[in-house]
Amino acid sequence: MVAQGIPEIGAYIGFLFVSTVALIIVLRLLVTPRDPRPTPEKKKPFESGQIAIGPGRTRFIIQYYPYLLMFVVYDVMAMFLFAWGLNLRALGEAGSLPVLVFIVVLLIPLGYALHLADHRENW
Amino acid sequence: MLGPLQPLVDMITSPLFLMIVLFPGLTSIAIIGALLGWLERKVTARVQLRIGPLYASPAGGILQMFADLIKLSFKELFVPENSDAFFFIMAPTTGLVIGAALVGLIPFAPGLQIANIEVGLPAFLAIITLSPSLVLLAGWSANSKFPFIGGLRALFQQTAYEIPLWLSALGVIMMAGSLNLAQIVAAQSAGWFIIPQALGAFIFLVTSVAEMERLPFDLPEAESEIMMGWQAEYPGVLFLAAQGPGFVKLYAFSALFTTIYLGGFLGPSFLPPLFWMLLKTLVIIVLIMLLRSTFPRVRLDQLLRAGWTTLLSLAIVNIGVTYLLVVGLPTF
Repeated sequence: MVAQGIPEIGAYIGFLFVSTVALIIVLRLLVTPRDPRPTPEKKKPFESGQIAIGPGRTRFIIQYYPYLLMFVVYDVMAMFLFAWGLNLRALGEAGSLPVLVFIVVLLIPLGYALHLADHRENW
Repeated sequence: MLGPLQPLVDMITSPLFLMIVLFPGLTSIAIIGALLGWLERKVTARVQLRIGPLYASPAGGILQMFADLIKLSFKELFVPENSDAFFFIMAPTTGLVIGAALVGLIPFAPGLQIANIEVGLPAFLAIITLSPSLVLLAGWSANSKFPFIGGLRALFQQTAYEIPLWLSALGVIMMAGSLNLAQIVAAQSAGWFIIPQALGAFIFLVTSVAEMERLPFDLPEAESEIMMGWQAEYPGVLFLAAQGPGFVKLYAFSALFTTIYLGGFLGPSFLPPLFWMLLKTLVIIVLIMLLRSTFPRVRLDQLLRAGWTTLLSLAIVNIGVTYLLVVGLPTF
């Protein structure tokens, strides 16, 4: 069976490619260096050539936390708009008015939240 | 004729299998990804008045990335101490799977599409949403400071671009009245969406560059700030697996941009549709590569602020303009 427009030789080329990749993976497992003389520094975390100090999972200032909170709300808003946008021609003007209200109602708190996000001492 | 082998032969010569293995599937993704790596180095070099890769083949070093690929795959593979080995290895390999899944949703020519699903556009954007989570997982599992900072940056960056990206894609859906990518292409036979959706296309391009974590938005891997960020600890072939999805995503996003804004495979009929699709995709890829060599990196707070104010409000303005184009002026 010859697929639409693609000659049968294509199937064998694809098969050859996949087998070559598989062969390379097997080959590299056989050839890969086995680390004859492991040193303690080798597996240490990379820290610009210095010896790593302290825990790897450090404390990180969550100064952008308000954006994460806003994301939870407004990502859902975008999803609701998809349902409206898909059926826009069927809904027409009358069906779109509630969506306008929905957007405005959600954008006013967004402005206030952005205002608060500027003041880091709130978080 | 072949007896018990007949089902196997039927399977590997079936159209779907050919599409998955050859084009637009895995073989072409691997080759195009490697060629894009070469093209990016070459374009960046030209902009910076350098020559770029030169020696790996007679044709301007076009085999450079294949040489790199062989070199990296024969390097020693080890996992840093105290790291979470399972997630450390799982995150970049899953990233490759995600990149390949994206290409499977794109219609490259009539009938040349692996998964012609009804919700193609949201499915594409939903699959890509997983990628910053994988970056965070990779950064956390490495048990090192720079990868951890890079992973958290990816998390915050996602909140900045995700909503404008979805809302700019909404404009296309309002114009086409469909979520199916093949039908969105068909809806552009009267005129490409880039003209009525110019603002949306601009926002989509900017946010998709942020999604791909490319300059000027490559905060999670910012080389000169945090040492390749979440990729810092990856050795050998795992580094390849961490780098690869970037090029696959570049290819997939350029193909998606072409599909929803530039008429996809539509074009004058003296050349096949596939040619037009790949030509437009290549133009978008080079445009994104030129952005990389033109703009300096933004700061995280600048990106968050711009994403939540400028890009989001422009996306909502775009939705309003699209509403007026589709439904007309309000009568009340």
